[in-house]
Amino acid sequence: MFISGFIYILGETLKGMYRNRWMCITSTGVVMVTLLMLGLFMVVNLNVRHITESVKEQVEMVVYIEEDADRATLEELGSLITNHREVARVEYVSSEEHMGRLRQQLGGVLEGYDADLDNPLLASFEVSTEYPEAVVRLADEFETYPGVSAVFYGQGYVENLFEVTRVVQIVGLALMAGLAITAVFLISHTIKLTVMMRKKEITIMKYVGATNWFIRWPFLMEGLLMGFVGAVLPLAIIHYLYRISVEWITVNELMFINLLPLETVMAELSLYLIPLGIGLGILGSMFSMGRFLRV
Amino acid sequence: MVEAKNLCMKYGKGKQMALDEVNFFIDRGEFVFFVGSSGAGKSTLLKLIIRELKPSKGVLKVFNRDVSRLPRHRLPFLRRNIGMVFQDFRLMEERTVYDNVAFAMIVIGSSRREIKRRVPHVLNLVGLQDKAKAKITDLSGGEQQRVGLARAIVNRPAMIMADEPTGNLDPGTALDIMNLLRSINLRGTTVLVATHNREIVDHFKKRVLYLENGKLIGDEQKGIYTNVH
Repeated sequence: MFISGFIYILGETLKGMYRNRWMCITSTGVVMVTLLMLGLFMVVNLNVRHITESVKEQVEMVVYIEEDADRATLEELGSLITNHREVARVEYVSSEEHMGRLRQQLGGVLEGYDADLDNPLLASFEVSTEYPEAVVRLADEFETYPGVSAVFYGQGYVENLFEVTRVVQIVGLALMAGLAITAVFLISHTIKLTVMMRKKEITIMKYVGATNWFIRWPFLMEGLLMGFVGAVLPLAIIHYLYRISVEWITVNELMFINLLPLETVMAELSLYLIPLGIGLGILGSMFSMGRFLRV
Repeated sequence: MVEAKNLCMKYGKGKQMALDEVNFFIDRGEFVFFVGSSGAGKSTLLKLIIRELKPSKGVLKVFNRDVSRLPRHRLPFLRRNIGMVFQDFRLMEERTVYDNVAFAMIVIGSSRREIKRRVPHVLNLVGLQDKAKAKITDLSGGEQQRVGLARAIVNRPAMIMADEPTGNLDPGTALDIMNLLRSINLRGTTVLVATHNREIVDHFKKRVLYLENGKLIGDEQKGIYTNVH
């Protein structure tokens, strides 16, 4: 019973698609173009996120210690910062080490200057946070700790970076949602036309006692197949385009454009586009079937 | 088998009742004609029995169950016990005779073996054993209605309902179809026929329920159409 039903459903799906092949090809093509746009946008979004994430990872803060802070205050401050749950890494840099770094940077400019007698540089803790976004909040918190003179983290630049990242993500999500809704509309419209063409058949099915699910299955399978094909073809196109882009960047020695590897991009895209295509196909069929089943 | 108590049906917000306080009882194995002119309420009654429509008031019991209270997911199982025959045949024209009949069995999940055994048998009963592979468009009106009948009986329903089954057929063919329905009835299947074909009703002398403007105005055993009209 189950097997004959399944063979029937599969047969009906393929026959239905063959009978309406031109409409099927057209709508799969439209779904493909929509998902291709979505996929390309995702590639851009993934790489923008990758680049901003790697910039964000470099965000650190420097907590300068007051010149007259005693050993106990210094130890207490060090323990407070080190044990903070949002802090990933802490390094203590003494004023002598700062001077050493400065000498290294400036070369011979400080030749003859006796830093042991008059070193104006403050000792500090260099802090990396678990999440780059926590830097601004932690900086405010650390400034209130006893013995802290000032906290620097690249004020202004960091806020801008976070704002740009946030806008890119919101715009990306909005565009992707828009494209997904367009794809649902296109698939649902196509399947609605197919359902209308087969209205008589559906009515007969209802009269002879078919359950709604028995009627739905061929249309759901059709939506599923259209969504699947509409997702796999854009993946193949993106795979080709991304590969030649990476090759072009390598050949032209533009290695400062830090793109994600091809495998990572394709794995991420497949993870989203294939279930999305299938989901959109099924959703499109569900939307279009509703009123035809109320016989 | 079918029982109507104060059955009323009104379409939309109009004042005209399609069925007005209709009462009757049809027993298992009966052959019943619903007669009346167009708009009398015959088709509405059949649609209520198959629960294509819900009554506005009253009770309609089919197989001892109040169909208006039947949940939507149970409807397919009610309909599997009722074979429907239509005036316009309602066949899938691009498919063969065999496929049209087998379709009714596939839909209820019969096995392929059962379908291969049952369909030729039913086509034999309606006299279409040689037309199994023919396309519906290559058949005459009478032959198409035989396919409709074969499809209606293939799942061995307890009841057959025919809505103007002879409406599109010449008198000779119409008589053939009615004879087929009678032979189906003789095997124990309840048959309900909605028609305004006077000759047919008078010829068969079965139970007749007369409808006029939605009211049941007569119920006669071995009735003839001309008793009222």
